Amino acid sequence: MARIHFHEELEQLELDILGMGELCERAVGRAVGALIEHDDAEAEGVIAGDDEIDEKYMSVETRTLQVMALQTPVAGDLRLISVILHTDLHLERIGDMAVNIAKVYRSVHDLPSSQMILEHIQEMSDVVRPMIRTAMEAFRRRDLNLCLRLQEMDDPVDRLNLGMYKEVAALAEDPSLLNWGLRMILVARQLERVGDHSVDIAEQVGFLLTGEFREFTDASHPVNIGPDVG
Amino acid sequence: MVSEETRVRVDVEALRRGGKGEDELGEPVFQLRDLEASYSGKTAVRGVTMDIPRNRITALIGPSGCGKSTLIRCLNRMNDLIPGAKVEGTALYHSQDLYDPAVDPVEVRRHIGMVFQKPNPFPKSIHENIAFGLRVNKMTDELGHRVERALRAAALWDEVKRDLKQNALALSGGQQQRLCIARAIAVEPDTILMDEPCSALDPIATARIEDLMGELKDRYSIVIVTHNMQQAARVSDRTAFLTAEADEAGHRSGLLVEYDRTDVIFTNPEDKRTEDYVTGRFG
Amino acid sequence: MNAVAVAGKAASSIATGKRAERSLRAMVFTLLLLLCMLVGFVVLTTLLVDVLQKGIGHLNREFLTNLDSRIASRAGIYPALLGSLWLMGLTAAISFPLGIGAAVYLEEFAPRNRFTAFLEVNIANLAAVPSIIYGLLGLAVFVRAMEMGRSILAGAMTLTLLILPVVIVASREALRAVPDYIRHGAYAVGATQWQTVWRQTLPAALPGTMTGMILGLSRAIGETAPLITLGALTYVNFAPTGPLDRFTAMPIQIFNWVSRPQSEYQQVAAAGIILLLAVLLTMNAVAIFLRNRYERKW
Repeated sequence: MARIHFHEELEQLELDILGMGELCERAVGRAVGALIEHDDAEAEGVIAGDDEIDEKYMSVETRTLQVMALQTPVAGDLRLISVILHTDLHLERIGDMAVNIAKVYRSVHDLPSSQMILEHIQEMSDVVRPMIRTAMEAFRRRDLNLCLRLQEMDDPVDRLNLGMYKEVAALAEDPSLLNWGLRMILVARQLERVGDHSVDIAEQVGFLLTGEFREFTDASHPVNIGPDVG
Repeated sequence: MVSEETRVRVDVEALRRGGKGEDELGEPVFQLRDLEASYSGKTAVRGVTMDIPRNRITALIGPSGCGKSTLIRCLNRMNDLIPGAKVEGTALYHSQDLYDPAVDPVEVRRHIGMVFQKPNPFPKSIHENIAFGLRVNKMTDELGHRVERALRAAALWDEVKRDLKQNALALSGGQQQRLCIARAIAVEPDTILMDEPCSALDPIATARIEDLMGELKDRYSIVIVTHNMQQAARVSDRTAFLTAEADEAGHRSGLLVEYDRTDVIFTNPEDKRTEDYVTGRFG
Repeated sequence: MNAVAVAGKAASSIATGKRAERSLRAMVFTLLLLLCMLVGFVVLTTLLVDVLQKGIGHLNREFLTNLDSRIASRAGIYPALLGSLWLMGLTAAISFPLGIGAAVYLEEFAPRNRFTAFLEVNIANLAAVPSIIYGLLGLAVFVRAMEMGRSILAGAMTLTLLILPVVIVASREALRAVPDYIRHGAYAVGATQWQTVWRQTLPAALPGTMTGMILGLSRAIGETAPLITLGALTYVNFAPTGPLDRFTAMPIQIFNWVSRPQSEYQQVAAAGIILLLAVLLTMNAVAIFLRNRYERKW
């Protein structure tokens, strides 16, 4: 096989992305955990850990540009490069969302909390984190069906996010609790965006596999896409 | 890569046209159906079915031995010059059979010009190089103007107008190749075939000729054989990928694998062999 | 081991002293080769010097314009000179088109089969046939059967046959040297085979053909046996004026002088030899000049 160096480089980039996926997924888990368990140290850990994610992000971006300049990838390789670049960015943003959650916790860690809302957030986290894992797995296994699952997994996230508003509105009588509750809406929003980024990653993988780009969830045209896509 | 259910249905009609749903192409210049060329009984290329559109650049790419040079030489009957060469199948040029016994290959070559891999100007003056073709085709009225027009169209006029009597071999490689293009254009063909026209040239000369090709395609249909994939990607509208493969009897010969719009070939080819070749995983 | 020591080790390992030894061997070998060349050179020079000594005295305007004479001091080479020039002229005029035509046919038009291969081999062989055979052939065909008589024309036709193989082979080489891409370039603009040959291939091959031509003539000018067989005269007292005249040629005249008993004729013969050599060298020089000037490095 020719161009060994080039293909090894592509493989390495892919491994790095998969590694980043793990890191980001754990960061989200830790941030939510810090919030739920009231763990200050854990929150600090998440914020500090973002440096590693940013480093990986820059490394992947730089090396990807290098590959494009020096190796002129085409066809499947080109689509892979495109996916790597996009996913790199999405994962970095997911890392930022984890940091945002940790920072929100930090700013309200003194305030009283509502167990029900915390459980609500835990539920969101339990839906969103598998989305990251599934998107990365779809990438690793080049599995179109896994890609399509992301769309289904995103529905509960939207529902849960909308549900947050009602629950926080119910705290209206207690001002400091309400204050805390409003911040929790931010947290939910972060988690919902993590879900969106995961779906975006799955769309990218779909493009890699089919050569065509389809949006799985379009706010203006909700489409039920079956197995005939691509 | 992609499972059967999710794969796009391959439209054979579109495949032949070299693209999905491009109806503004009009009548193709060449229509090849199951074209097969052989030398002394040994098949060089087979299974070529494609329409070559007019006023576009069509590239033939593939590894060595895939028959792309043989194929292009079939289009202007230059293959006839090789003893033992035989062509089977159909090759239509503007709906006329190129290989009909009544067809004069000499006349064919006036309408379908050719530029070769190594620039091959005649060992004469620049003027005579172009005038030769005009004379043998009895196009000698306003000879000087015709020569100038051809040199202008080949983007060579400004460089040589001072002295058309200088020997063509004194020109640089890139200039010689443009002279050969001018020579081909002078006899007013409607198609120009180019067999690896830039492989003997440096990158700057190559770039100039690629630019020239872009200008020429308004008036001519161009078919180019190239082993430089990036060049095919840069200049062509349609790309045909050929490869060398053994047939059922075990004889190795060239074969048309895929033919489509160039951007499709280089972003999302259908056939794995095409993918392997353009990404360099070949061999 | 540090870098300096390694370098030192490398330097010392290549300074073996073998160069001096090899130089000596090379020098000895070169000397031997020089000696071989000198043998031929010295012999040739001796002959030339001898000839020059003998003949230079007799080489003057009268020699060139006089007819032959029974008086040695008045003997001139004029008829023979003219005869040779006439012969060369006619031979060139006849052999050129014939030779090139044959070469063009064989190289460009003939199908590549056993028959043409057979022809090729035999043409080359003909160059090795002893020239007197050509004389006998000329006698039978040109002099008698075609009734040209013992004329310059018959002589020229015979010499043509003699040098034709050389001309054909040289022309074929010249044609073969024209690369195919020139022909293809012509075909690609819609030229017929004939147009291509006549306007591209042949003009490009011309310098090589001319060289072959001149070398053939250089051989012909020195031919004696076939011309004598044909009936060239050995004693002429008139200059030829037309192709059907009787004639003699320089080598024959020289031979004639050498055979005479009077010793003075040796000088006259030497003068003739000098002239013949001068003509020959000039022809060869022209051939070399043409070749160098117009030869194309494909």
